[in-house]
Amino acid sequence: MTDPGRAGPRPAPPLPVRTLPRGRAASAAGAAAAAAQMLAPFVLFTAGWALVVGVTRWPEDVLPSPFAVARAFGEVFAKGILVVYAGETIRRIVLAAVTGVAIGIAAGFVMGLHDWIAALLNPPLRFFQSLSGIAWLPLFLIWFGFSDKTIVVAVWYTLVFPVAFNTMLGVRTVPRLYRYAVLTLGGTWRQIVFQVLLPGAIPYIVGGVRLGIAYGWRALIAAEIVVGSGGLGYLIFKAETFHLTARIIAGMTAIGILWYLTDYFLLRPLEEATIERWGLVYR
Amino acid sequence: MRAKISVEQIVHEYFNPSTWQRVRALDGFSLDVPDGEFVCLVGPSGCGKSTLLYLIAGLTRPTGGRILVDGREVVRPGRDRGMVFQEFAILPWRTVEGNIGHGLEIAQTPRRAKEETVRRYVALMGLSGFEHKYPHELSGGMRQRVAVARTLAADPEVVLMDEPFASLDAQTRNVMQEELVRIALHERKTIVFVTHSVDEAIILGDRVVVLTGRPGRVKASLPIEIPRERRRWDVLGAEERFVRYRQEILRMIREEFDSQERAAEAVRA
Repeated sequence: MTDPGRAGPRPAPPLPVRTLPRGRAASAAGAAAAAAQMLAPFVLFTAGWALVVGVTRWPEDVLPSPFAVARAFGEVFAKGILVVYAGETIRRIVLAAVTGVAIGIAAGFVMGLHDWIAALLNPPLRFFQSLSGIAWLPLFLIWFGFSDKTIVVAVWYTLVFPVAFNTMLGVRTVPRLYRYAVLTLGGTWRQIVFQVLLPGAIPYIVGGVRLGIAYGWRALIAAEIVVGSGGLGYLIFKAETFHLTARIIAGMTAIGILWYLTDYFLLRPLEEATIERWGLVYR
Repeated sequence: MRAKISVEQIVHEYFNPSTWQRVRALDGFSLDVPDGEFVCLVGPSGCGKSTLLYLIAGLTRPTGGRILVDGREVVRPGRDRGMVFQEFAILPWRTVEGNIGHGLEIAQTPRRAKEETVRRYVALMGLSGFEHKYPHELSGGMRQRVAVARTLAADPEVVLMDEPFASLDAQTRNVMQEELVRIALHERKTIVFVTHSVDEAIILGDRVVVLTGRPGRVKASLPIEIPRERRRWDVLGAEERFVRYRQEILRMIREEFDSQERAAEAVRA
């Protein structure tokens, strides 16, 4: 073993090096540069799209121009439709994510702690994981009707697996010696769980949560299309019946932007904070 | 006087999944450790030295025999028996302070008393200025000092040490050994220390117990009659008794090694 300080398979990370620009002006310039770098590919893509529309001159209900989409976006926003529908979607993802993550972590812990439960559940879990939440929607519709329940259950279905598997993996990768060490300090099982296994598994859990919510988000939009009781999925689906192609694309853009913001401002910082602070994962 | 630790006729077998065989690590092992003694265990690799510590700690249950600490049979780990592991095993998500105070936190020591003890061990171990650092920001030597401090701060009556300095560089190791001699002098604890190094066993131990090859039994038990104040590397080398102890222990380990070799040859033949 080259690094004696670590009892597990995780190598010691280099110290986090952070280059901070000096002064407010410099940091504003840095933020602007970062934003520009983030936006540049989208600008390029939109330009290409505008060019294609300009050259082919397809009718607007087949492929609208970026300007038409921007107009449609402004229209659904001004009418208040976008805010109401996006609000529905956000409410559902928050509800499903909070409860689903709790279920996934609990299940993962049970599997991580007891080998026999993991061995028992592993094959069926892998089998069911291969069936996407969408494939279950007909059944969920029969069981729960065209309601929020169906949507939330479909999101759970996609979200719980990655969270549970990652939590299990995380619990299992916590070196046994950490547990032993705390036991010889007089630690109880409760303390082992909350002071050793949970913090030790956090980087994996956070990774699983990020993945799970990403899957859940997609399942949510699909479920909204099928259930048809509000939400961004329903917005784009209903727009199709009226051939409001620009509105469809505006809705898709809203879905993408919402996800990007959630990931960029919530999930990624969470992952980086736990991992970098504790130096648990080599990057 | 009743022994602090009584190891009585311990038999320990474990299953080796790579050879699909049961291995007998200890076979009728007995050892008494009086209260306050610093005993060092040396012996060939695989003789069950570490296993013995895990058994005393209560982390592993023996196949046969029993272990008494203060006359009570060991059935599970407890804070009366602290352990320092070869691979340190300090928690990477706790700071130096958080790790050292962990045992006190578990014992629900009042905050004031806890901080006081942590401060004392931080100073004693030369960790001042690093209280708020995380383990990955420390050198190997410092991490092991944190591990030793964590175990001692919890104030166990028995301290079990499993080759704690084996992975340190020679310089750090020597400093740590001298520090441990000093600490053992101040804080009267019963210490069982497992090591590969004969020199380390002599500088640290009140007594050195030499184990036979697998399955491990006690081959010899040697009291080390070098006064504590002479146990420093700069003067020990000149100590004639040190050289004598060293030769004798090395001779016994060599004997064990040779007999194992012969046994292996007999099996092959």
